[in-house]
Amino acid sequence: MPENKIDLSSDAAATTNEIVTAAIAREIRDGDLAFAGVGTNGRAFTLAVGIPLTAVRLAQMLHAPSASVYWGNLLEPDLSSMPADLKQDSFTRWQAAACPSDTGVKCDMLARRAFDVCFDSAAQIDRFGNLNITAIGDYRDPKVRLVGCLAQPEHFAFVPRPIVVVDLDRRVFVEAVDFITSVGHLRGGRSREEAGLSAGGPQLVVTDKAIFDFEPGSRQMRLRSLHPGITVEEVCDLMSFRPALPEQLPATPLPSAQELDLIRRVIDPNRVLLRV
Amino acid sequence: MKEKLATLEEALAPIASGSTLALGGSLLRRQPNAAIRSLIRRGIKDLTVQSWAATTATDMLAAAGAIRRFEGIYTGMFSYGLAPNFRRGVEGGAIAVRDFSETAMVARFRAATQGLAFLPIKTLLGSDIARHNPEQIRPFSCPFTGEPLQAVAAAKADFTIIHGYVGDKYGNVQWPIVRDSDDIDQMIASAATRLIVTVEKIVPHEEIKRRPTLTYIPGNWVEAIVELPYGAHPAACDGHYDEDDVHLTGYLERSRTPEGAQAYLDEYARSVPDHDAYVAKVGGLAALEALDVPNREQTHA
Repeated sequence: MPENKIDLSSDAAATTNEIVTAAIAREIRDGDLAFAGVGTNGRAFTLAVGIPLTAVRLAQMLHAPSASVYWGNLLEPDLSSMPADLKQDSFTRWQAAACPSDTGVKCDMLARRAFDVCFDSAAQIDRFGNLNITAIGDYRDPKVRLVGCLAQPEHFAFVPRPIVVVDLDRRVFVEAVDFITSVGHLRGGRSREEAGLSAGGPQLVVTDKAIFDFEPGSRQMRLRSLHPGITVEEVCDLMSFRPALPEQLPATPLPSAQELDLIRRVIDPNRVLLRV
Repeated sequence: MKEKLATLEEALAPIASGSTLALGGSLLRRQPNAAIRSLIRRGIKDLTVQSWAATTATDMLAAAGAIRRFEGIYTGMFSYGLAPNFRRGVEGGAIAVRDFSETAMVARFRAATQGLAFLPIKTLLGSDIARHNPEQIRPFSCPFTGEPLQAVAAAKADFTIIHGYVGDKYGNVQWPIVRDSDDIDQMIASAATRLIVTVEKIVPHEEIKRRPTLTYIPGNWVEAIVELPYGAHPAACDGHYDEDDVHLTGYLERSRTPEGAQAYLDEYARSVPDHDAYVAKVGGLAALEALDVPNREQTHA
């Protein structure tokens, strides 16, 4: 059922978007500076913008009051009043603590590791968490030319705790990405550090079916929890590679009544952020 | 101070096919679309385009078959999806792309600004962006610490076109106090060799000099300035007007096929003699004023 048709009364069951939003909110620590992108439309907007902003706001309201966001070129935008639509003027008028004179300021902050968390989505992600948003097929003769790279290489190079938000799909979860836009754990093991990158790389991959982390040592993607009602077989059927499987596989925790109430009534009452 | 006011056609006259052209704007803000339509009208070809987050201007040039090579951080249509004509050009082999991440492109424009051949970054270690571009991204060791770094080549353009908010006849361009600053237009301007600026409005120099801290492009850097109301249409100019959703939707609909895109360019670029005729074609100033956003305190009218 589309998210905008769901029952938003306080006792209705949590939707998938709400489950992953609450799960991400619990990863945000007090004092974190998180980067969220500005991109795209429809489901891609929910993944890149809607879920991350809702999650950080939820964390601010519950356990991380001094967590903040860099969104577009706004540092600490007021998340208590999100833009009502996606027209330019709504972005222009969004109130924030700072709006630096250009995006070079954000780039410099990324490079000197001023961020703690970032949110990324991608057309492809592989076993070692490398991302591709540049081209499908041969880079020089692509089957599909995508958007390029934006600051996604910076996110994985410089941010200690990147969180990937993407739907589980065989075409997205591939053994090796066609083009490494963002270097994750590269070829596993210590290959990332050997390439000259600092420790870090993607920490979590949050999907509509399950949440993954990366196995220490091998650095391959590992199933961490299954959303309610989802089986390991269903998850593996939606991936082109088999993730590492831990001995104990818990269910992704459901949002509490308080978390659901805040998401539905306070943070996103018009269902702009978690619409689809 | 030298007067630099020009018509669009006068300002763009030096730009020849085969040039390297840097374009300002970011996503659906301040794309220099009126200038691009004028270049398409003239049949310019074989350009190397350097840009930040490119949308309409680059996609129209791609539709016109005018781009040989693109260097930038992004080409798409923001909330409208992928850039159809650019995509077709790259997938068909007409456009060669060299991708750069944001810190890489910032370093390239800063290097050009400082008169350096390159600046160092360490963003693209291990990335296929560097692997596919040894010509412009080269590894070296930090002379102080020995850590691995990458030299990215300066972004040197023959011509730079930026659409700004307001300016005076001397080429001084000011931004409003409340704006969307998610761009690097000032940096692209400072890196320019020959800088052509189009603005929404020419205002008296007396207004400019009262608040010189708002001048982000000094006339000293500018070769020519052109008054072009709605010069970013169908993209937005933050603080002035929003993007034209109906026009953009029509553009994308027609751009599903190469023939549709050519018909669009024939109608809105090639068959109109100048920007005034374009404004008339899209319904006149009255229609465009419907896109205006409220003037706010301390912003230029």
